[in-house]
Amino acid sequence: MRNLLNFLARNNNLIIFLILEGIAFYLLTTGNNYHNTRVVNGIRGLTRGIQEKINNTRTYLNLREINEILAAENVALRNSIGRLVKRENLLFFSVSDSIFQQQYLHTSAEVINNSINRQKNFFTLNKGERQAVKVDMAVTSGNSVAGVIVGCSENYSVAMSLLNLDFKLSARIKSNGYLGSLNWDGRDYHHAILSEIPQHVSVIVGDTIETTGYSAIFPEGVMVGTISDFEKIGGDFYKITISLATDFKKLHFVGVIGNLKKTEQLELEKLFQ
Amino acid sequence: MINSILRFGLIFILLILLQVLLLNNIQFSGYINPYVYVLFILLLPVEIPSWLLLLLSFATGLIMDFFSGSPGMHSSATVVAGFVRPYILRGVSPRDGYDPGSDPSMLTYGFRWFLTYTLLIVLVHHTALFYLEVFRFTDFFRTMLRVLLSSLFSITFIIFIEFYRRGK
Repeated sequence: MRNLLNFLARNNNLIIFLILEGIAFYLLTTGNNYHNTRVVNGIRGLTRGIQEKINNTRTYLNLREINEILAAENVALRNSIGRLVKRENLLFFSVSDSIFQQQYLHTSAEVINNSINRQKNFFTLNKGERQAVKVDMAVTSGNSVAGVIVGCSENYSVAMSLLNLDFKLSARIKSNGYLGSLNWDGRDYHHAILSEIPQHVSVIVGDTIETTGYSAIFPEGVMVGTISDFEKIGGDFYKITISLATDFKKLHFVGVIGNLKKTEQLELEKLFQ
Repeated sequence: MINSILRFGLIFILLILLQVLLLNNIQFSGYINPYVYVLFILLLPVEIPSWLLLLLSFATGLIMDFFSGSPGMHSSATVVAGFVRPYILRGVSPRDGYDPGSDPSMLTYGFRWFLTYTLLIVLVHHTALFYLEVFRFTDFFRTMLRVLLSSLFSITFIIFIEFYRRGK
């Protein structure tokens, strides 16, 4: 006993070190989970005020560019409204409607905090549960993939950016329909990697990559990017480098897409697993 | 005593603000993320009891974690830095030893001594931080490149700050 106490007294540094390191590792392993909302509710609450101030400044500096993007988007939307009204003369249809079977619900949000320089990047949106944003909804910027919502508080939500080593997406080559799995390799924010495309498929630089809609998160046919380079690696697959369509450095106004039939699809699929 | 608590409190707040408001928003590329808040751990007095050093390191890391939404990542790296600091101080001690009650800063012990000291601690801290961030050993050498490049920038920033402090 005495020896033990002596040992403790001599090594109290090491013990404090181990205890603190233990606390840090506990936080590290439990707090960074994919679907962990504690990060959102507890920790982000403390620093949100400062983040919003930083964001306000940044928004002000980018106003001109944002206006241009919004104007372009307005034009595109007006055009599609025009087409809808002419053909069906029905602009409003509700979710519970059994005739039209609307599957995707769109809303928009503003990015108030974003990072691209880590290996696991997240961004924060200014809409949350009160605005009907839920976990597992898709986030798009323009018409291209940006991320997936992983946590919501009342008025805010946090999305896992495509620029995150844990992000996985089912994507395909638009021209021939072959599908592979897309993830980020942590190198730079312009490029991601599409793998699992077999080598007998013809791959051309410049081909469009889009989502498949298999994951029940992203709708089918959302743009991911274009092929910028490809190489044959061991085995039978290509390693295709994709130049991303979304500029994550400028991410600001984003669209949030909810799949109204996701639960139905997942429940059905669960029966066969 | 009170005086030095106030002084270190001020340094602490300034460094955290510099890191959170400015450096965290500079996004050069995926390779360069300078973290200068380590300077706080570097500057604490030579004779600080090591339990206090460890606790202050942990607190620094925890606050950085709050601001970057990465619970545990910065804290574990800063605790490692706080733990090795006494050994590094002993290893690089100047010929006549340390003056009692002094800070291990560039003002007291000169440029070359401070550079070695900073280099060692920043390398330890950044290695811990970046490997914890990816939390895997695939792409081992790419992470090492990130450690080296970011350390280079952090050290440059820290030296600049020290020159500025000396100039005043």
